[in-house]
Amino acid sequence: MGSRPPKRIEAIVAALLPSTCREEVLGDLHERYRSPAQYSLDAVLAVPPVIISKIRRTADPQVLLIQAFALYASFLSAAWLSGGALLRDDWGLLRLAAPAAMTLLGVMLDDAYAKPARRSRLQLARGPVVGAGLALASQGIFWISSPDLAVPRWIFCYGCAAGLLLSSAVRMLFPPAAGQLQQVSAPALWIKPSGGSPGIPPGIVEALRVAAIVIVMAIVSAWLASPAGLPAARIFAFLSIPWIVYEVCKRA
Amino acid sequence: MAKPDSLGQFEQLVLTAILALREDAYGVTIHSKVRELSQPKAVSLGAVYVTLDRLEDKGLVASWLSDPTEQRGGRAKRCYRVEAAGERALRESAVTAKRIWDAITEVWGKDLARELGKRWGKERG
Repeated sequence: MGSRPPKRIEAIVAALLPSTCREEVLGDLHERYRSPAQYSLDAVLAVPPVIISKIRRTADPQVLLIQAFALYASFLSAAWLSGGALLRDDWGLLRLAAPAAMTLLGVMLDDAYAKPARRSRLQLARGPVVGAGLALASQGIFWISSPDLAVPRWIFCYGCAAGLLLSSAVRMLFPPAAGQLQQVSAPALWIKPSGGSPGIPPGIVEALRVAAIVIVMAIVSAWLASPAGLPAARIFAFLSIPWIVYEVCKRA
Repeated sequence: MAKPDSLGQFEQLVLTAILALREDAYGVTIHSKVRELSQPKAVSLGAVYVTLDRLEDKGLVASWLSDPTEQRGGRAKRCYRVEAAGERALRESAVTAKRIWDAITEVWGKDLARELGKRWGKERG
């Protein structure tokens, strides 16, 4: 009988752990190993809090809120372009929020699992792509099991495409915590292994900033002008615009 | 948002454990020490990791990776030490705890305080 954890269980635990803490957590679990059952229980109790803690460390609530707005606006605009029938549905706004929430979850998970030292320009767009994959999986389940709760496919495809563009632009403008070396309050764990910011040329950043603001303003303005928009949603959008512009100007 | 120097009860336990363990403070030993300090309450390893991350974000502890060891399957330890801000926060917590204890003794009387003192003495052996 060996005193090592079973390789398969250890491999599963290693795959579930974010790379920034994999080494020490796997080592601790190995040191505490007494039996496969005890190891599995230890892992079940340790891994979820570790993932949540890493999400907390990498996620910036303000940027997440901007991304959530951008994603939701994408799906809303897709619904509006398709005639607005879904917007008038009783649960229409909630149905549109589901894929936006799943995409946001994907973005948060991708940031938590990213290797800070290997962050590149493309990796900033990887989060939204992972999120779109998660949204597609969740909508796929709805399309098969309960089509009433699913978002129509055309609306989903258009919303995802616009969401990917806007979300990637927001992430390039406001890189995740691991890419912000200049932030003194960032945890040492993130600053130490980071190889530097993605190094996007200032011209591209400026163009993206302008494009993102224009797209958001165009979507919101068109929606505000349309008779399909709901009064409460219009007020929400109207109040959000100055706040987003303020955040973008403050952080840029 | 919490003040960086204000500590929750569990944070106090984890900081005390790191301080007591000195050079040997890493995940497993910190968890054992916290479990010992918080008896009879059960403490999960995950809760300790989360608190260590939070304390590091607040700048109360610092961490570094040690060399890998065979005992850990060739994996490194993340060692912790209490920073000056952490010591200050812990000292403030200890002073507050002392004030609470004094107030309790005043209300409950010295007999009960003596009884509790005896029980703590037994627990320490």
